[in-house]
Amino acid sequence: MSAINPGDSSTSVGSDLSRRELLAVMALGLVAGAPGVAKAAVPADQLTWGIHVSLTPTWFDPAETQGLITPFMVLYALHDGMVKPMPGKLQTPCLAESWTVSEDGMSYTFVIRKGTMFHNGEPVTSDDVKFSFERYKGAAHDLMKAQVDSIETPDPQHVTFKLKKPWPDFLTFYSSASGAGWIVPKKYVEKVGDEGFKNAPIGAGPYKFVSFKPGVELVLEAFDGYWRKKPAVKRLVMKMIPEETTRLAALKQGEIDIAYSIRGELAEELERTTGLSLKPVVLQGPNWLYFPEQWDPKSPWSNLKVRQAVNFAIDRVGMSKALFLGHCKVTNNAVVPYTFEYYWQPPDAVYDPEKAKKLLAEAGYPNGFDAGLMYCDSSYANMAEVSVDNLQAIGIKIQLQPIERAGFFAGYSSKKYAKGIIQGASAAFGNAATRMASFVIKGGAFSYGSYPDIDEIYPQQADENDPKKRTALLDKMQQLVHEKAVYAPIWQLAFLNGIGPRVGESSFGAIPGFAYTAPFEDITIKGT
Amino acid sequence: MRQYVLRRASYALLSLFLLSVTIFFFVRVTGDPAALLVEPGASPGDIAAIHHQFGLDRPLVVQYWLFMVSLLHGDLGQSFYYQTPVMGLYLSRLPNSIELAAVAMLFSLVIGIPAGILAAVNVGRFWDQFGKLFTLLGLSMPSFWIGLLMILLFSVYLGWLPSSGSGTPWHLIMPAFALGWYFAAAHMRLTRSSMLEVLGSEYIKLARIKGLPQTLVIAKHAFKNALIPVLTLAGINLVLMINVAVVVETVFAWPGIGRLLYEGITFRDFPVVQGVVILGGAMIIVVNLVIDILYAVIDPRIRLGS
Repeated sequence: MSAINPGDSSTSVGSDLSRRELLAVMALGLVAGAPGVAKAAVPADQLTWGIHVSLTPTWFDPAETQGLITPFMVLYALHDGMVKPMPGKLQTPCLAESWTVSEDGMSYTFVIRKGTMFHNGEPVTSDDVKFSFERYKGAAHDLMKAQVDSIETPDPQHVTFKLKKPWPDFLTFYSSASGAGWIVPKKYVEKVGDEGFKNAPIGAGPYKFVSFKPGVELVLEAFDGYWRKKPAVKRLVMKMIPEETTRLAALKQGEIDIAYSIRGELAEELERTTGLSLKPVVLQGPNWLYFPEQWDPKSPWSNLKVRQAVNFAIDRVGMSKALFLGHCKVTNNAVVPYTFEYYWQPPDAVYDPEKAKKLLAEAGYPNGFDAGLMYCDSSYANMAEVSVDNLQAIGIKIQLQPIERAGFFAGYSSKKYAKGIIQGASAAFGNAATRMASFVIKGGAFSYGSYPDIDEIYPQQADENDPKKRTALLDKMQQLVHEKAVYAPIWQLAFLNGIGPRVGESSFGAIPGFAYTAPFEDITIKGT
Repeated sequence: MRQYVLRRASYALLSLFLLSVTIFFFVRVTGDPAALLVEPGASPGDIAAIHHQFGLDRPLVVQYWLFMVSLLHGDLGQSFYYQTPVMGLYLSRLPNSIELAAVAMLFSLVIGIPAGILAAVNVGRFWDQFGKLFTLLGLSMPSFWIGLLMILLFSVYLGWLPSSGSGTPWHLIMPAFALGWYFAAAHMRLTRSSMLEVLGSEYIKLARIKGLPQTLVIAKHAFKNALIPVLTLAGINLVLMINVAVVVETVFAWPGIGRLLYEGITFRDFPVVQGVVILGGAMIIVVNLVIDILYAVIDPRIRLGS
């Protein structure tokens, strides 16, 4: 105990305790008295998600689905599709137990699975299927309506889509690239209207809607009448926690069981934490470098060897380890994800800076050259920085030009970045043909030029109904893209997530290319 | 007096009008909201469909005219992202922001005012130095950083408090502290300077000469007069706390107006950003108008002078 010294402001007159000691005693009291006081009891049959984005009621209605992957985070719980991507297969029969395609490719007939029902107990019928298609107004609305001539419902179990002309991509769009094949109850929607439906959605999925507070949480409850199986977890709560650090803290604290999107150093911290597990998922979103000047004979990029040199110069594996803990998938196919229909697997990517330098010398650029600017979405500027360094190492000098996301894609599609290099990406739904249409052939939304031999194949595959022949044509197109080094592929991006100790099966990565947990009915809690 | 009130009210209306013009056009400089509602690589057709759906394909002047017509009818429009009326969204978040601001204000006053008084009566001694440190930290440390440190300490290491969300009084403690510290520091500084000014005045000296005890001099004579500017500042700060807790509400996932504004900015949800800014601005303008009028009522020199 210290003596009291007059004038010493650290002491308290009239007391045997110094201020410092008093504060220490108070802190000890708090430490001893308060632990656990704020921990709310979580029901044993509930799992809680920490969501990185704000859920919106438009995601509760399949008719509103834009060309985004995020709404499917909720759709997989609330609703069900006639055919949808499931573990092991992209086009899995769900509400439809089977379908047949007419020989001329002009009609698709679906048989609705017996015993399927909506959360209000009403059966799923062909009228609901027709109604759901007709009210769909999302991103692929115009395309689908332009292709479908009529929908016939001869009885409650059968529905036939008649096309105006053969369209081999009908099932791709109907099953995953739109919300048109996700079924809503006609009678209920007509009764409550579109707004009413978004406020209190009823679907045919494994979980029923309980409540939604915008910006706060969505609560769902298991639907015991789900046809595939009775969900193992009784209650799901999706809490919106925008800040990544807070999500990780909530996961560590046990307030949530599953955290979406934990990146970089936080992901390393998650990996180090006992009881927590990192769950990386490879997205259907490839990243690439594109050479918009390759059709200009005066540009160095018109030389195949220069473009090949860039392919050898990029250290994809090193970049993935540094930025995504090594979880990105290097496929070496620039624009088509490996999970897509008609994907063609190119030879493995090779990192060989010496060979890159040799190719540059053979192309007439032994000392490299000044390549101008590399344009990129600022959210992925960290990747582009590595590419800039890799190119610098072989003598190609390039300056990074990060642009905020919306501006970047607007500039990319309006062909504004005609010089230099573009670091691009796409997570849009579709198949190899839709990717070729957007990024490779003449007139593509993101094509700055094209090659006649590739262009020539595109209409042939679009009219080809024989899957084998179509596969061969699309393989050829992708092979030509690879051989001509139209792009320098980087990888398919990894989406890093975390799960807590209570989670048994999380369903992360069960559906290839899908970022979130699904199917929800497969998710389990340990020990239940 | 009537003319004075009318003139102040017309200034307030003009301010609101200028605010509406500024926010309407500035928010559109941030970029195209359609690009954030589709995946990268979406076709121009998808983007054009979204422009059409939200009326963004119309000329800017027409968009502004429609916005103003709706605003005058009390309609702030439909959120692009939530697809629901902005007014409903705002009103659903307002109680949470008021709750957070009220607790943060309580904290800032309970800490700030006594600490300011202690500092003023102990100039240059421990409490004054401690107060200076408290003020310096409160004013200089960003609230998001304070928030993250608190989450780390009180949620992750000690496990005392929930890291985020709302619903119980425990959820309020950390966000209220993170939000309130800055304002507590401001209130403390003002209390200290105001108290020092009052303590140096003639009537306090007279009270002391009369032999009144120190506690009575401070509590009864000095504090009451020193409190007036502090409470005026606190009133304005309360309105600010309700409207500008963007960072704190985001870090703690607190579902208030600040987070709504953050979401609006993140998704380029123009109607949400416009609505939150205009309603927040209106709140501040109305509070200032009321203060102006009250000053004029209390002190006739103000209205006569103007």
